[in-house]
Amino acid sequence: MTDLLRRLVRTPQGAAGLVLVGVVLLAVIVGPLLAPYDPEAMAPLLRYKGPGMTHLLGTDQYGRDILSRLLVGARATVVMAVLATLLGTLFGALLGTASAFLGGRADEAIMRTVDAIMSIPSLLFALLIVNLLGKSEVNALLAIGIAFTPGMARIARSVALAVRKQDYVNAAIARGEGSLHIVLREMLPNVVAPIVVETTIRVAFAVMLFATLSFLGLGTQPPAPEWGLMVAEARKYLNLSPWMLIWPSLAIAMVAIGFNLLGDGLRDALNPRT
Amino acid sequence: MQQPQPALTIAGYSLDYLTPRGIHHALVDIDLTIARGEVVGLVGESGSGKTSLAWSIMRYLPGNARENDGRILLGQDDMRRMTPAGIEAIRGRRIGMVFQDPSTSLNPTLSLGIQLAEVLERHRGLTRRQAWAEGEAMLARVGLKDPAGMMRRYPHQASGGEKQRVVIAQAFACQPECILFDEPTTALDVITARQILDLFAELQAETGVASLYISHDLALVSRVAGRVAVLHHGKMVEQGPVGAVFGSPREDYTRRLVAAVPRPDRRLVDDLDPARMTAAPLVEARAVSVEYGRRSAIARLFGSDRAPVIGNRAVSLDVRPGEIVGVVGESGSGKSTLARALTGLNPFSGEIVFDGRPIRGLADMDGGYRRDVQIIFQHPDSSLNPRQRIGEILSRPLRLHERLSAAAEAARIGDLLEQVRLPAAHAARYPHQLSGGEKQRVAIARAFATAPRLVICDEITSALDVSVQAAVIELLLDLRRRHGTAYLFITHDLNLVRQIAHRVAVMYRGDLVELLDAQAFATGPTHPYTRSLVEAVPVPVG
Repeated sequence: MTDLLRRLVRTPQGAAGLVLVGVVLLAVIVGPLLAPYDPEAMAPLLRYKGPGMTHLLGTDQYGRDILSRLLVGARATVVMAVLATLLGTLFGALLGTASAFLGGRADEAIMRTVDAIMSIPSLLFALLIVNLLGKSEVNALLAIGIAFTPGMARIARSVALAVRKQDYVNAAIARGEGSLHIVLREMLPNVVAPIVVETTIRVAFAVMLFATLSFLGLGTQPPAPEWGLMVAEARKYLNLSPWMLIWPSLAIAMVAIGFNLLGDGLRDALNPRT
Repeated sequence: MQQPQPALTIAGYSLDYLTPRGIHHALVDIDLTIARGEVVGLVGESGSGKTSLAWSIMRYLPGNARENDGRILLGQDDMRRMTPAGIEAIRGRRIGMVFQDPSTSLNPTLSLGIQLAEVLERHRGLTRRQAWAEGEAMLARVGLKDPAGMMRRYPHQASGGEKQRVVIAQAFACQPECILFDEPTTALDVITARQILDLFAELQAETGVASLYISHDLALVSRVAGRVAVLHHGKMVEQGPVGAVFGSPREDYTRRLVAAVPRPDRRLVDDLDPARMTAAPLVEARAVSVEYGRRSAIARLFGSDRAPVIGNRAVSLDVRPGEIVGVVGESGSGKSTLARALTGLNPFSGEIVFDGRPIRGLADMDGGYRRDVQIIFQHPDSSLNPRQRIGEILSRPLRLHERLSAAAEAARIGDLLEQVRLPAAHAARYPHQLSGGEKQRVAIARAFATAPRLVICDEITSALDVSVQAAVIELLLDLRRRHGTAYLFITHDLNLVRQIAHRVAVMYRGDLVELLDAQAFATGPTHPYTRSLVEAVPVPVG
């Protein structure tokens, strides 16, 4: 593990990604303690303020401190997005690898189903699931996880097909290993690298999807300080104070860039050959 | 009269690669000259710098290469002082190169004619029409039937041998002064390789080009080359006429290299005593057939009945306990298919009888059969999972077939490694941290973990260097002496098979054409295919 970390830091992308994600994680863990104000305390006299000494990043349409809202909201936004992505990755990787391993008719059946699901836009699909399950944060998480599964399955399968042809898989079959062992222990570790990269990129999408669901009233409910929800609400007041929109957008961008860079670095660090 | 100017002169040339782990000396102080009309063989094991030398002559080096101020002269001209444009004008015109694998050295999206005509247009200033006519003449010259038709074909429509002929035609097209051949027959099967070599000798005599023939196969080099240079770790160990260097090597390294080449007249195994020759077979394949490809639902719907590809056609073969049966044949002859059927990697029809027990399909292959029959694959890089440590790789067969405590398991892994002459500490390493030979030893250790009675060796030495191959063979024979294991030894190296096999099975296009005793194989094969195969094999050196 320390070896992996050392290799990660040695690449510039890995180091930069680690710093950005580190900052985000810091906000996730101790954000509420660092917040200077109550994120939901309204101040009618201090509305639409730009960045200043009392309110570092300014205030929103109810006079709530944006910095405090960002720090407190990090938990809801980032943790949910990461969890949803991991869920989708896990399902997708397992499905894709198993499909490649089984081959033949089972592979056809699984992948054609995946194709059918992929033809539905992920937002629509997530909406459908939330509507079926009822609106709540956990259901939104589940919906995004399921919506991400087909894409992940496709990527995992394309890599797993090449792995399937390797002789170590043949060797495992020849010595009589069970299918589960072959998929989990022989194939999956060799499929991981491209999946990790895809996962990190998807985290940014997940943040946006959450925001959209929240905006439509199907995910996080106001007045919770979720970043995507903050962007969605700030849209209406763009002409009064652009800062309301800029800060949460920047925060989301930082998460996206941080995870992307981390993914690039991990791709290199995870390859034992380098 | 003064000495004729050599076609290629390399003097005091050194090459380093800068790697993250420090400087790697690829070539150290190389001196080599090739006169016009001469063929110089360059031999050495993988990593000895053979290909690096070829690329430095072609002036095509990666960015991390650092050279000293040695000279590389083509005729009178110093290649190292030339501008990139000057080099481009020379490549293909005054110096050509033929690569190992014709299927990757030709562009799959262009027809063979376009690729050949391009060279002529660029370097000899011909028009498209002239170049096309000249190309046809060249193809006829390299012995291709129907050159006009061949010009219009694409690489995938030609066989490996035909493609290599086109590449050779390309190299000879502009009558260059010097051609580099980088293992041009390694990717071809024995008989095709023999034909390519004959063609090479013919063209060589006719054009008087200076050739550098790179190969790891000493027997091959002794057939084509007049002089030979031996490379070892980037240093030129020995240089001289082929007969002298291989016949009475002066250097210790050359001697070891020559000694490692398999010689069919030096048997490495005891011949089985008559009692065991009549013993009941350990495994017997009865009319085992394998077909590849399944008809898709759509194909069935439209009633197209494309015949499936035949992997094996009713192959019957038996292996007695402790016996080594060699299986030879060219690539695509069904050798590996048979191995895969016997290990349950391919569905098959027919019957396999193992130790008196009939096995009619994959479902009959239970834990006992899986334990008794093991397979070792050709490439250890692909047969060892790159993300598992050696210890974990070796622990899998143990866990499947016997229950051991953690301590006992670790001890067994240590024993296994020791058995294949590797330090027990290797258990903590990953495959990429080992050399090719060491990796193959790990694969052997894994096969022997369950004390099998039959081990199928599928070309296990063909990815290894000669000296490593000799050590691996010795290890296999040693393990056989200790455990009495029978081997089904699949290879394309006939000299090797004649050294170690008790009986030899010859396969051709999915059929088993002959099953012979080792003596009969050497003296008088009856089937015409076997005869041409035996004749095509280069006689070993020394």
